[in-house]
Amino acid sequence: MKPFSLFFALCSSLLAADPVESDFYKITTFETPKETALEVGSIDLLPDGRLIMGTRRGEIWTVSGAGSTDPSAVSYKLYASGLHEVLGIAYNPKDKNIYATTRYEVTRLRDVDGDGRADVFDNVSDAWGVSGDYHEYAIGSRFDKAGDLWVTLCLTGSFSSVTPFRGWALRIKPDGTMVPTCSGIRSPGGLGFDAEGEVYYADNQGPWHGSCTLQHLVPGSFQGHPGGNEWYALAPNMGPRPIDPSPENYQGDHKRGEARVGGDPGRMVKERERIKQLLPPAVYLVHGKIGNSASAIICDTSAGKFGPFMNQLFIADQSHSNLSRVFLETVNGIKQGVVFPFRLGFASGLIGGRMDGEGRIFAGGSDRGWGARGGKPYCFEKCEWTGKTPFEVHEMRAKPDGFELTFTQPIDAKTAGDLKSYSMREFTYAYREAYGGDEIDEILPTITAAEVGADGRSVRLKISPLTKGHIHELHFEGVKNTAGHPLLHTVGYYTLNEIPGK
Amino acid sequence: MRFLLLFLLAAAALSLNAADKAQSAAADLGSVKVIMLKTMTAQMKYDENEIIVRPGEKVKIVFENGDDLPHNLVFCQPGTDTMTMAMKQMEKPEEAIKRNWLPDDKSIWLHSKMLNPHEKEELIFTAPAKTGDYPYVCTFPGHALTMNGKLKVIPMGQGLKELKFALFLGNWKRLPDFSKLKPHREGLVPDNLIDIKLDDYKNEFGVVFTGKIHAPRKGSYRFYIAGDDGVRLLIDGKKVVEYDGIHPAGTIKEESVQLNEGDHEFRFEYFQAGGQIAVFAAWKGANFDVTPLSAWRPDGWEKGAKAKKKADYAPIPILVAGEPVIYRNFIQGAGNRAIGVGYPGGINIAWSAESMNLALLWKGAFMDASLHWNSRGGGYQAPMGYDVLKPTGEVTPAFFVAEKPDAVWPVWEKTKRYEGFAWKGYTLDAKRSPTFRYSWQGAEIEESFSASGDGNKPGGNPTLIRSIKITGSLPANAWYRLGAGAFEEKEGRFVAKDRLPYSIIAEGAQMAGQNLVIPAKAGTLTITYQWAQ
Repeated sequence: MKPFSLFFALCSSLLAADPVESDFYKITTFETPKETALEVGSIDLLPDGRLIMGTRRGEIWTVSGAGSTDPSAVSYKLYASGLHEVLGIAYNPKDKNIYATTRYEVTRLRDVDGDGRADVFDNVSDAWGVSGDYHEYAIGSRFDKAGDLWVTLCLTGSFSSVTPFRGWALRIKPDGTMVPTCSGIRSPGGLGFDAEGEVYYADNQGPWHGSCTLQHLVPGSFQGHPGGNEWYALAPNMGPRPIDPSPENYQGDHKRGEARVGGDPGRMVKERERIKQLLPPAVYLVHGKIGNSASAIICDTSAGKFGPFMNQLFIADQSHSNLSRVFLETVNGIKQGVVFPFRLGFASGLIGGRMDGEGRIFAGGSDRGWGARGGKPYCFEKCEWTGKTPFEVHEMRAKPDGFELTFTQPIDAKTAGDLKSYSMREFTYAYREAYGGDEIDEILPTITAAEVGADGRSVRLKISPLTKGHIHELHFEGVKNTAGHPLLHTVGYYTLNEIPGK
Repeated sequence: MRFLLLFLLAAAALSLNAADKAQSAAADLGSVKVIMLKTMTAQMKYDENEIIVRPGEKVKIVFENGDDLPHNLVFCQPGTDTMTMAMKQMEKPEEAIKRNWLPDDKSIWLHSKMLNPHEKEELIFTAPAKTGDYPYVCTFPGHALTMNGKLKVIPMGQGLKELKFALFLGNWKRLPDFSKLKPHREGLVPDNLIDIKLDDYKNEFGVVFTGKIHAPRKGSYRFYIAGDDGVRLLIDGKKVVEYDGIHPAGTIKEESVQLNEGDHEFRFEYFQAGGQIAVFAAWKGANFDVTPLSAWRPDGWEKGAKAKKKADYAPIPILVAGEPVIYRNFIQGAGNRAIGVGYPGGINIAWSAESMNLALLWKGAFMDASLHWNSRGGGYQAPMGYDVLKPTGEVTPAFFVAEKPDAVWPVWEKTKRYEGFAWKGYTLDAKRSPTFRYSWQGAEIEESFSASGDGNKPGGNPTLIRSIKITGSLPANAWYRLGAGAFEEKEGRFVAKDRLPYSIIAEGAQMAGQNLVIPAKAGTLTITYQWAQ
């Protein structure tokens, strides 16, 4: 009777299949122009509904019909070519021109004769150095609320900055003036804004970064990697150069990938007390779990057209070819928050991404240089809400004695109020010059209470202890909604830079 | 003490060397060498630019048009100028169309049909008996420049003679001096192929193979080795190529050596520390192809050490068709802010937005993007074409203030900018030819270029005219340098006394030491560059 029972087992598992990501968020893969490899590096919207897209191969394409329900309605027109890697593209509503951030220049492009191809290429700013090292990428933003463009500059290699402003975030004013704005950047992968227009960038695991991170670009701040700090000499507006991290945090004799005997002493939370300009990452995009190569930052400004996550951020990843979801809050004056897995399964490594007013995320990229799980060498895709609401933790907020969770659907009070439905682990990374790092200083706290809110959609967790500077990894496998379904994703990683006061 | 048993093909009954084996295989009845050749999508090239066959070998080429344009495959006799042949039919296009763009040319000995997109055709033929390079090309108008390759008809060489082995035992991290060690065992290698045969997984030994190798004539020979672990090849007692230390066998090392005609002493040394065991050796001469001297061969051994690199970076030529094409990237000799421009007609420049100066000009194909469009995008790519001119050296500004014009001009520092210069951008005209804009010491400068003649064909008289429009006032003692190095004035032309002679023509130009200069002032400066003298 064995085959028979197996048959039934299969049937029942199919019938009761747990929801999967694609039930809620659909990915559509577009055909791309045959004459090129469309290695998407940056995407913005034009006022007429078309997209404008910059590529790693230095082309800029206008894209029509990508919003259509019929993917074959997409069409492409080459707007410009021959630029040096377009990792930032921005339509400027003020002067109605296209701005491209390339390896050594922010270029304003104009189509004067109106044939759909750019014919004037103005240098808006090239006020930073380029040494010829491959690592010196320049990532550009869209225009911020003040009308400025932001540029983040990769270091020369992972450790140093051999030419001005490598490892910095710059602002380019409308008249082309360059304002050095933040130091301490290592290897940015994307720039984006939250719903209020605050500026963030994604950095990548490496020296002084145990993991990829989402970082808040507060003007004047030092973002953690001291490799480019000699350029304070060229940035009087930034005030004095920050003191260096403590000497024992530097590499010394031990090499990349090698553990230091006795462990690394440096901690971001300790160094913050010494280095007044040091701003810790808002969210650690936990290495290997959330991603390995963070890139585009996309805010859901569609007021519900992308589902229940209004104003939250979606972070793309080149290596994992995925999107993760971030909820941020401000505690004691600085940004912090939680990252959840969101959607796997993009066709190649994501680099550029943008949401349109209809709540459609357009994203694309390539696997070139680092490899990507997606499997295709490059892709251009669309991610849309199917209209079905996934059962997810909606927000996770820090409280003086724990966390508050809200959910996208009414919760089952029994499972949500059961301490056994949750587990928590706390850890951090060493703040050190050596490349990457392990999850260290692990603490397994006690969850002392899980109180279901009167609204039936929230839970108050009491945790002992909370640890300032640690990532609080919360699992909530046991929680069910009122229909008896488990959560679509059952883990979140909250970066607790600050513990709120009572 | 560990037991070690080593058998070196002791039971081999055959005594054929490698070359004999290869030739007898090719002569087998019904044995056909199958070669796949494809045109690549939107790249105007075949996926292989070299096909190697043996003289008289039966060959089947499966030719597939993977592109969206029609292409054919036309084989010509050695020495045929396929570019000229393909272009010649443009003189009578009506007739050429009737022939479906197949030139009426006696040098053609094999060809496919003009394949429509995604069509396939099989060409079955016997390779020419005569060795040589037989060019192949697509003769559809405009394709021949980049869609071409060589069918190389080349035999294999001879193998080793009188090969002996000596086995040594020891635990080494690098090759020892075997001459000071006593062999554990010695013997003959009947099939004359370097090989290591074990009856079990073994570690910690070394083998020295000695024998004779016959150079068919005086000349340069290339030797290839690979091993797991260390290997070294010596000819007449002198080291030719070595790959010492403990490592896997994947990497092939190669070096050339001059040999006189006749027999030479061959010596191949190997040690095994632990793990995998592999040895490879091969050689190549001017009139024979890479010939293995070992039983085992790594993947891609036919192409030597370059095999892997080539596969990673198949060329991505940037095609220049009806209008100028721009390529901004790291161009070798043009700095970090280089702007390459390929003009129709096979004339190209690289302009530097660092020095605000013309860095390079060259003929033929424009740029190969494969270095920058594979992997992470680093490295300086040299021009793809030929006859590269560098009138003022590497990325140095043309404008300079000096009391005397024989002064030393600034030299490039990778991480610094030239003071006083500001880069403004470029504007494309109706033909999409760029005018570069910048300022120097408050003066506004616009630079444009016009190309004439044909850089793609011999005697095409390619000429580049550069116009520099200077508006505003310049500092006193400002000079504009057109050329650096030795130039000879001949009837108003300045001819570079270079390995590659070319001329610069500019009214008012003068030599001052190593500088060909003009006093810089407002107005328009016209400079003509010609490859011919």
